[in-house]
Amino acid sequence: MDIFRLYTKSIGMLLKSHLQYTSSFIMQTLAQLVMEGGEMMVVILIVDRFESLKGWTGGNLYFFFGMMSVSFYLTELFGRGITGDFPMMVRTGRLDTFLVRPRGVLTQVLCGGTDPRRITCIAVGVAALIMGSRLSGISWNLLKVFVLVESIAMSMLLILGLFMIEAIFSIFSVKSVELVNAITYGGRSACQYPIDIYPTPLRALFTVIAPFALTLHVPASWIMDKPLYGWPTWTAFVTPLSGAVVFIFMTVMFHLALRHYRSTGS
Amino acid sequence: MRAYLSVFKMRLRMELQYRGAMIGGILCQMFFGLILVALYRALYAGKPQSVPIESVATYVWLQQAFFRMMVASDSELLDKIRSGDISYDLCRPVNMYGFYYARVMAQKLMGSVMRAVPMLIMAFLLPKGWGITLPSSFSGFLACIPALALGLFCMCALENITVAFTMRTLDPRGMQGLLNLLMMTLSGNLLPLNLFPASWQKVITFFPYAQLLDAPIRLYTGEYIPADAFRVYVLQAFWVVVLISLGAAMWNANRKRMIVQGG
Repeated sequence: MDIFRLYTKSIGMLLKSHLQYTSSFIMQTLAQLVMEGGEMMVVILIVDRFESLKGWTGGNLYFFFGMMSVSFYLTELFGRGITGDFPMMVRTGRLDTFLVRPRGVLTQVLCGGTDPRRITCIAVGVAALIMGSRLSGISWNLLKVFVLVESIAMSMLLILGLFMIEAIFSIFSVKSVELVNAITYGGRSACQYPIDIYPTPLRALFTVIAPFALTLHVPASWIMDKPLYGWPTWTAFVTPLSGAVVFIFMTVMFHLALRHYRSTGS
Repeated sequence: MRAYLSVFKMRLRMELQYRGAMIGGILCQMFFGLILVALYRALYAGKPQSVPIESVATYVWLQQAFFRMMVASDSELLDKIRSGDISYDLCRPVNMYGFYYARVMAQKLMGSVMRAVPMLIMAFLLPKGWGITLPSSFSGFLACIPALALGLFCMCALENITVAFTMRTLDPRGMQGLLNLLMMTLSGNLLPLNLFPASWQKVITFFPYAQLLDAPIRLYTGEYIPADAFRVYVLQAFWVVVLISLGAAMWNANRKRMIVQGG
């Protein structure tokens, strides 16, 4: 509970500091809106031209898109310390100060960054979810809401876990590694569409290594009453937990890597 | 002119140094290309379009290969604007706009050619329908090269306009972000422009963003026949002139009201 209070307090302070440069903040937030709006427009144009994608209707595609952008940008909003700032913390030596304080390093890193500009991206995602839900004619009940929340929360843990790979790399090589973007941002681009449209190697990658298919596509397709691969109902509740598994595994790896941390000295 | 040429050459050599970043960039771009081609193949399986899938795949690969041309920017210049060191550049006996135009052009040219050559070779090796196809005709291929060069000129002029906004606001993220994102959508990087609705295409293909890569790619795939090439060049050259004069005017106006952050 103490950690939670600490987190909300630091995020609150960071928010205030972001809002100091009002015009720049508004400009950047608008830029984010254009970006995510552009991505959304692409999906709409695709649906307009192709109508359906391997049995998924336009409404289904908007729903998948909305799930992905809400989970991804919520992660960026609250976990900016990992998703964006960490390599810089290593490079500038800010990480050193974290090591001597009486709190976990990961907690402090997470407390150290937020990205409120993403709020417009999340808004676009929510709009896509509502649109997708209407068009696919989803009849909501309590269980479905629970699965939706579970799926988004677990996807967020998964995305955090994947960004931690980059963090671990940056502990060893100081410079941030561009290649890891393939699995994080690449995962976002690929998995905003249902997994079963891709050839086997890509499917395997996003089911086993970066299990977006398990945290996102299995529950989302169950919510739309079109279970992925015809899997039974209980899978929609169980498979998203793989997000937590990835996160716990990466947390352990992160702490192992920290033992090898050598300060840049600056 | 010689001064600009030597700046250009120096910058070319400089860009050649970053080989490690290059390999990471290539692999990342290849991965994105594969995902996009897989997506369009799945879409085509449901409802084939008038544009054949091979030419959509070619479009995707050429866009990915020359991606660096769009994103490379002169971070040193942005630092100088923030720190006020740009005042030293006012003392140089060359035109500031031309100086930085040559620099960013070298960066974009070398950065994209270094990545494009290995990427296109790999894309040629992919199976048919996944990889890039040969150009529609030899004359189409020849017509594509001057169009690419004009596209590069256009791109650098756009980049300098973005920098002109940064000179005013000092913070590069707002306006630059906005302009870059417009570019990603309207240049065909997110979705090939030939898959946009036909009525939109009439307008979009006239925009400067379509001159960067879309026009050369369409010459390559044969969607614009080589006889059209002249018309394409005129439109591209028109935008190059407009964008360079606009950018140079903005830089000159900024020079008069430049504020150096003390310290």
